[in-house]
Amino acid sequence: MPPRLSLGAPRTLSSLSANWVRIRPHRRFASSSADAPEVYDVVCVGGGPAGLSLLAGLKASPITSGLKVALIEGQDLHKNRLQKDASLESFSNRCSSLTPASVRNLQEIGAWPHVNTPRVQPYQEMQVWDGVTDVRISFDWNTAKPLLSPRNPSQPTTVAYMIENVNTTSMLLSRLEELGGVDFYTSTKVNSIDLGADTEKMDFSSWPTLTLSNGKTLAARLLVGADGANSPVRTFAGIESRGFDYGRHGVVASLKIEGQGWGGPDHKIAYQRFLPTGPIAMLPLPGNLSTLVWSTTPERAAKLKALSPDDFVAMVNAGFRLSPTDLEYLHTLPSGQADEVAWREKHTPVDNRAIPMRVTSVQAGTVASFPLRMRHADTYTGERVALVGDAAHTIHPLAGQGLNQGQGDAAALVRTISYAVQTGQDIGSTLALESYNSERYAENNAMLGVCDKLQRLYSVESGPLVALRSLGLRAVDAMGPLKGFFMSKAAGGT
Amino acid sequence: MASTRVANSSFRAVRAASIRPAAAWRQQCLYHSYDYAQPPPFPPAEAAILSAAYSHVPNHGFTIDTLKLGARDTGYLDVSTNLLPRGVFDLINYHLVTQRLALQNSVQFPDDGAATKKMGVGAKVRTLTLARLRANKPVIHRWQEALAIMAQPTYVAPSVAELAKLADEIWFLSGDQSVDSSWYTKRATLSAIYSSTEVFMTQDKSANFVETEQFLDNRLEDLTKIGGFLGGLGEWLNYTGHSAINVLRSKGARI
Repeated sequence: MPPRLSLGAPRTLSSLSANWVRIRPHRRFASSSADAPEVYDVVCVGGGPAGLSLLAGLKASPITSGLKVALIEGQDLHKNRLQKDASLESFSNRCSSLTPASVRNLQEIGAWPHVNTPRVQPYQEMQVWDGVTDVRISFDWNTAKPLLSPRNPSQPTTVAYMIENVNTTSMLLSRLEELGGVDFYTSTKVNSIDLGADTEKMDFSSWPTLTLSNGKTLAARLLVGADGANSPVRTFAGIESRGFDYGRHGVVASLKIEGQGWGGPDHKIAYQRFLPTGPIAMLPLPGNLSTLVWSTTPERAAKLKALSPDDFVAMVNAGFRLSPTDLEYLHTLPSGQADEVAWREKHTPVDNRAIPMRVTSVQAGTVASFPLRMRHADTYTGERVALVGDAAHTIHPLAGQGLNQGQGDAAALVRTISYAVQTGQDIGSTLALESYNSERYAENNAMLGVCDKLQRLYSVESGPLVALRSLGLRAVDAMGPLKGFFMSKAAGGT
Repeated sequence: MASTRVANSSFRAVRAASIRPAAAWRQQCLYHSYDYAQPPPFPPAEAAILSAAYSHVPNHGFTIDTLKLGARDTGYLDVSTNLLPRGVFDLINYHLVTQRLALQNSVQFPDDGAATKKMGVGAKVRTLTLARLRANKPVIHRWQEALAIMAQPTYVAPSVAELAKLADEIWFLSGDQSVDSSWYTKRATLSAIYSSTEVFMTQDKSANFVETEQFLDNRLEDLTKIGGFLGGLGEWLNYTGHSAINVLRSKGARI
């Protein structure tokens, strides 16, 4: 046995080095031939916040800025950009909350200076309460301080930043344009992804080769799937994605409220009420505006979308004020919710300062809904493939973590690639990518699990579980350090 | 020696002759075929006595007297009830078996190809179960006696076996073709629902057994709820198991 082994090892080594020697002189000619694919180090499919953040991170770092990278996006990224002088009276209904960790990352890659600042709204407090028992918890850095010691004054008070998704992508695009060196294939679809051929010049048989709708073919040393929940890259890599549909839809809308909020312009508050059908959340935007995310059953979502603007506004106000039983009845009315809610509110005592200010109108055309599901890919990496963002995981929006997980993925993948470049590894090899998976998988899995369990816990309408969860919520609210721990986890961990 | 052997063999022949017809009647196919008619479940003499006795049940209940009346009606001696070694239980069994087999003829579903709205398997199960319960109607006031006899230790096993056959028949006729573990759970749950509804029916005084129908609907609704819950639980356990393995793999464990 031993002689055999010692014979085997040098043979593989020599064949490898022979290949290497043979390939190198040919590489510079590879792209000159018409049918040979154009070779890229990193090809990113999907120009969402995660994909763009990854490319900006690669280009911003002096170690990885030399890599040849391409971005493929089906939509016209430049046409859909946020205008610099866009009116502050209207906001897109697709908003996300960016945690301080995500913002720090955007600052590190130099993208944050490009953000349209007036359209970003930091908020300092979060009020969350149980729609069945009205037990509430307040998340702000003042009450979540370490035991017996005063709050560290240098610690920022911001819980998170509300930002339109289009603002995030526009900021990252501006940064990428500033950095340069990225080949954009926008308004271009990926027709097929296959493994390349073993040509005379180079062996592409382990390389993903993409055929684009404009007729080009690209070979990728590392193919990054940032192409959303139904990721074609994930399908190509044969990575299964598991999870379940919640049977709930998220209704979103941009709302105008009667004032700046109870805390004024400098202390904005986000509100979330857990109803048995799902949480209803109102998150602050600049000025008198707010954005709504209401997870509810598909039937109720369809009903809400079909209501007249006045009735819709009344329903949103009722969603934060009336009991689940009242809400159930209101959903059965064909119309006239506005009058019904006005009458019912007179008989439902509420502490007005504990709930969001009254909604006065809804921005036309912003009421929309999307199905809620949870998915997690079995792994984020394969041979010459890495998944980031929604392609790797889809989460319930109740903690506003979806976009932040994608940003965390992008930052981790940049670190992994830059380590591989520094140590002279092939950036597409599974060995080099392993650390990306090990850094992100468990963390994302924990976040997905917590949101899933919260969602399930609060969908219970009666019984001992309701009393128990209220007790737990009260306990957490009373224990500052524990609350601080949860908040720092939600803020991206430090 | 020779004479005894002859006697032995002749006795054997006689015994064989007397057993054979019964054996032939009780022979069971291990498979179901649409091409061959199933043999009647009882031999002719037994069937004649039992069916005649069955008509006396509403008046005389499930008793040995009923069996004797049945024997007399068909021109047999009282003692010929000895053909039925289990006595009254055979009469109960007759009711169970004939009503079970009558189901396939008494309930007709429109062809699936017909323009009428297609009936779901659940609705078919409900219709069949209800039809079977309604078949108890003529003897329902005597049915508690029958339940008491079926609960005797000797007869528990055959009673339960008959219940299982009924559940199987209902699922088969409703067109269920599951070949996974739900085959068992479906039959087990339907057996439980049917038997509890039957007990309820013996005390139901409402017109046309509306309350029994209501009771059955409630139990079937419970079943779909439990089924949905178990399905969700299975899905969740499957996900959680996989994610645990995936986390270990991401940390470098070779599983």
